[in-house]
Amino acid sequence: MELLQYAIRKLVSGIPLILGVTFISFVLMVYFGPDKTYELLGKNPTQEQIEQVRHQLGYDRPFLVRYGDYLRELTTLDFGHSDSTGERVNGLLGRTIPISLALTAPGFVLGNLLGVLLALVAAYHRGGWIDKLIMGGAVVGMSISFLIAIIAFQLLFSSSYGLNMFPVRGWDVYSLSDYVRYVTVPTLATVFVALGYNTRFYRAVIVEEMTRDHVRTARAFGTPPWKLLYKNILKNSLIPIITRIMFSIPLVVISGSLLIESYFGIPGVGKVTYDAITTGDQPVLKAVVGLTAVLFVLTLLLTDILYKVVDPRVSLK
Amino acid sequence: MSAPSATAVPGDTGRSRGSLWSKAVYKLSRDRFGMTGLAIVLVYLVAALGVWFGLWGQGWSDVTGPMWAAPSGEYWFGTNVIGQDIFERAVYSTKVAFEVGLVVAVLSTLLGAVLGALAGYFNGTWIDELVLWLKGVLDSIPFYLFVAALAFALKGYAYSMHVAMIATFWTTTGRLVRGEVIKLRGFEFVEAARALGVPEFKIIFRHIIPNTFHILLVQATIVFVAAIKSEVILSFLGLGVKDGVSWGLMIAESTQEVLAGQFNNFIWASVFLFGLVMAFNLFSDALQDALDPRSVA
Repeated sequence: MELLQYAIRKLVSGIPLILGVTFISFVLMVYFGPDKTYELLGKNPTQEQIEQVRHQLGYDRPFLVRYGDYLRELTTLDFGHSDSTGERVNGLLGRTIPISLALTAPGFVLGNLLGVLLALVAAYHRGGWIDKLIMGGAVVGMSISFLIAIIAFQLLFSSSYGLNMFPVRGWDVYSLSDYVRYVTVPTLATVFVALGYNTRFYRAVIVEEMTRDHVRTARAFGTPPWKLLYKNILKNSLIPIITRIMFSIPLVVISGSLLIESYFGIPGVGKVTYDAITTGDQPVLKAVVGLTAVLFVLTLLLTDILYKVVDPRVSLK
Repeated sequence: MSAPSATAVPGDTGRSRGSLWSKAVYKLSRDRFGMTGLAIVLVYLVAALGVWFGLWGQGWSDVTGPMWAAPSGEYWFGTNVIGQDIFERAVYSTKVAFEVGLVVAVLSTLLGAVLGALAGYFNGTWIDELVLWLKGVLDSIPFYLFVAALAFALKGYAYSMHVAMIATFWTTTGRLVRGEVIKLRGFEFVEAARALGVPEFKIIFRHIIPNTFHILLVQATIVFVAAIKSEVILSFLGLGVKDGVSWGLMIAESTQEVLAGQFNNFIWASVFLFGLVMAFNLFSDALQDALDPRSVA
């Protein structure tokens, strides 16, 4: 009951954020976005036809009415049909979001897991050559552009100049083995690029926890190192780790990875949204941006609840 | 990064009476990685200034050579698909990278400093709420979509990429400055200034913001790196540099060339980019170590 009350209060306090995101995006993407009128018309349209199309696209209504309509669409989760293809927006998202999720999830999970693991190893050997090697590698990894990593991995694994083991681009997934074939190279590139940042962040968190008094005491009592690392250090540094992971989720889920999708020609939601911006497909844009904002608020709530789960001292008020 | 702490400790004790800044400069000057990074950044800066003053890199758009010439005495790094000199283009791009990095780093750090200081000083009032709300909103809009939308909203304005980065990159600086200012405004020197009747905006800009300078300096170096890296990806997506050439545009054109087995464009643009980003990262880390007395290596 207490949790439910808290959840409702938190969701209500997220409304200004949703209003802000939708308003700024609405002004940028819808009001100032590309005009689709003449794309939908034939040659030499009459004034009447122009007005008819503008009316159909909703361009002739006042700004606030259109924004109000948008908010109504967001609350009913019904965004109508795409201006470009006529496909239902919900159908379009239902088709593309799973692809983006399947594409980014392995890299996201592996990048964070390996990051925590490497950070634990580095922190355990703090100051030693293993630590210096891992942290030096992290700085090098941070300095390599995502785009360069993608091209290099594609050359290495998918071209005749390298191992030529995986498809160059595309997404023809009908079975698990197809999935593995198409997802491997993008995943490698994602993990490679994320690992440097993640390892550094997690190591800093873990080292800070390591210097606490309770860890010194536990060590003095003869706690074995692995138990010290897992129980006394990792568990106590979960809050910043959870924060980092949770807050990257909304962007990963909804906007996918635009760069990966456009480079490998994968029809995910990032690519669809980018195309929607360049062609001015307003219903798609409104849906993607609005849902991202909603997801952000839900993530804020979920993160707070997770804090409570990993640390009973945290009170939800 | 790990500073050579063994060499820094004996020096520190002798200089304990120095100011925070002289201690920081001393500590920084003893950081081998940091100083190497700084030296490399300065080499890049000289290259960029040379292009700026027209000393070299001027032939970046001339079509002089054959298609895909191999590296030679005339074309040091070879030529690209239409016979342009890759060396000239890579050097010219250094200037473009510094332009993007400096403009975005300076302006977004300033914006973060002002908004963060206002939010921190007026902590708990509507100003604070407004800044926090704005930060939350900007952090919740997917970055690449924001840049794309802004580029179209500004009708192909050549600096829309810069505007988008400045508008979104200030948020981390703002958050850090806000936290620091909340701490600072309880200090006696602020109280003294207020008791003397110094106007509030003067307290903020003359007394409080200069005391957050250590945060601003580190943040500026971090944003500089982020801006250069984002430029590469945005240019590839067609949202970045509009006129001229940049490492991002070179890599974008090389994506077709690598499939034909021509790697010169890709490799040299990547090497130039990696060198500058890596050097700046090393310098930024050393700066952070030197300026943050609480940092644990």
